[in-house]
Amino acid sequence: MPEGNFWRTEIWHPLSVHFPVALLLIATATLLVSFFIKTEIRKQWQNAAGGLLMVGCLSAWLSVYTGNLADGIVARKICDPTVLKDHQIAALTMAYLFTIASTLIVLSLFFQLKPKWKTGLYLLTLIFMLTGSGYLIYAGHTGASLVYQQGAGVNNHSVDCN
Amino acid sequence: MKHLKLLMIAFTLFIVGACGEKTDVVESGTYQGTISEVEADKSEIYVKTADDKLLELYFTETTTLTKDGATVPFSELAEGKKVEVEVKKEGNRLDPVSVKILE
Repeated sequence: MPEGNFWRTEIWHPLSVHFPVALLLIATATLLVSFFIKTEIRKQWQNAAGGLLMVGCLSAWLSVYTGNLADGIVARKICDPTVLKDHQIAALTMAYLFTIASTLIVLSLFFQLKPKWKTGLYLLTLIFMLTGSGYLIYAGHTGASLVYQQGAGVNNHSVDCN
Repeated sequence: MKHLKLLMIAFTLFIVGACGEKTDVVESGTYQGTISEVEADKSEIYVKTADDKLLELYFTETTTLTKDGATVPFSELAEGKKVEVEVKKEGNRLDPVSVKILE
């Protein structure tokens, strides 16, 4: 078996990063579906999207933090850090876009708005979330490329496993 | 709606710009430039060269840092200082061999 401590600093990023990927994409899909629902349960879909968005947003910033910790270690070992830079820029952009979307959702909860304005605010939120999802998918793609093409964060062990 | 779309695009581009600048890959050699950012906790510096290239350099165990011929600590580096860096290109990674503080 490969020796060495599993709980290396760079391990915290892959452990945390899958939460925002799942939560924020489902939040976006949920809010998108809510626009096609004409009955009273639309409100429940919007609330579900809001809840997923808040938790997803917090986990996104946690992932940005753990990614920053991993960066200093991984960037010295991989052969193409330009991919890492693309990954960082996409991830940070995504985190900011979803933070704006979260702020808009909070605004819609705390202010009594006319139905027309509320729908407009949800539409604006959805646009931010869809744009954020695009960056999230790209960040995921470059992250996977870093691991599977360049072995970022992978513990180096001998070929014969001794 | 058209204005909203344009606003969204402009806003997104602003956020992308604010979230970081792409760095450049250069051939092995010696370059002069100005430090645009120092990340002390990662022993990392960004150097803007005269031909507008942005080099992201992570110090290694063998990187030497000198000023007037004498070895100085990493804390001597600061934004705005002029430096001469010798880099070795490994794949697309730039390993700093030596960093000299010029001023």
